[in-house]
Amino acid sequence: MKKDKNISGFKTPENYFENFEKQLFSKIEEVNLPKSAGFKVPTGYFESLEEKVLLNAIPSEKSRKVISLFSNRKLGYVAAIAACLVLCFMLFKPNHSISEDFNSLQMATIENYINDGNLNLDIYDVTTIFNDEDISAVNFENLKFSDGALKNYLMENIDEETLLNEEQ
Amino acid sequence: MVEEQELVTALQNEEAKEAAFRELVSQYKERLYWQIRNMVLNHDDTDDVLQNTFIKIFKNIDSFKGESKLHTWMYRIAANESITFLNKKAKRNNISIENLKDSAVRKLETDVYFEGDELQLQFQKAIATLPPRQQLIFNMKYFQDHTFEELSKILDTSVGGLKSSYHIAVKKITEFIKTQDETL
Repeated sequence: MKKDKNISGFKTPENYFENFEKQLFSKIEEVNLPKSAGFKVPTGYFESLEEKVLLNAIPSEKSRKVISLFSNRKLGYVAAIAACLVLCFMLFKPNHSISEDFNSLQMATIENYINDGNLNLDIYDVTTIFNDEDISAVNFENLKFSDGALKNYLMENIDEETLLNEEQ
Repeated sequence: MVEEQELVTALQNEEAKEAAFRELVSQYKERLYWQIRNMVLNHDDTDDVLQNTFIKIFKNIDSFKGESKLHTWMYRIAANESITFLNKKAKRNNISIENLKDSAVRKLETDVYFEGDELQLQFQKAIATLPPRQQLIFNMKYFQDHTFEELSKILDTSVGGLKSSYHIAVKKITEFIKTQDETL
């Protein structure tokens, strides 16, 4: 093939021409996929949605204010003191089996409780309740996460492909 | 259409909040609906997740600091709500997330709110084989036409990572459809 006479000064990313066909054919395959998913919605669904959402959002907000534990700081302090007293009573009772039971119950029951979806808190709720100081005060080193549990969690929850892509 | 910044200011003002929220729902209901629908597939589940998404937005708007755009924040909440919903549903039914997606796709064949042809059904089956996050990336790029830059802000992932996830997803989908065609 005859070489270009003049040199423009432009250059291409490394391996651009080597990978060009691959990228082009992947694009062509994508073009052949259906353009729409095929879903439809019940007639009038979007027209009545505002009312439905407002009906659910606003009462839940108002009722939360009335019964919210977090709205009354004093109640929080009283509850914390009461919880400490109960805990101290259980820990310093001569019969140690109670505190052991409490510890084993704590991990298993709390885990099941959360796994069953009973604790209806997510990251947004947590960030609303806790401020930065509260979070930085948590001592993660003393939390009981075994290496095995952590490994299992990562194996089950990490999307390896995204991670590998990120590492590139 | 009310500007986004005006809407945020109104949403964080107790007196204007309700009217502003109504405007917000009206502006975003369809876009968020389709984002969720592509993940959870059936209309009733989408309706539940969409309402929870808006309720979460309403409850947390005061803590929205404006570090990202309002719509970016809303898309992120909808994405998280969709994946949380699928995980909870799988757990509740005591099945894996793969089995849950598989059964949801099979139900499309008799779903009155699905009017896709045979190819669109195969397409949904192929999408359902992707891991949830890759599925989310594919759906948001393919059906909603977000740019990779927008997606990078919504999903808090690098553009490079998103691009390769998307291309891997396209490859898996086209291969799945080819294999299905060959076996027919």
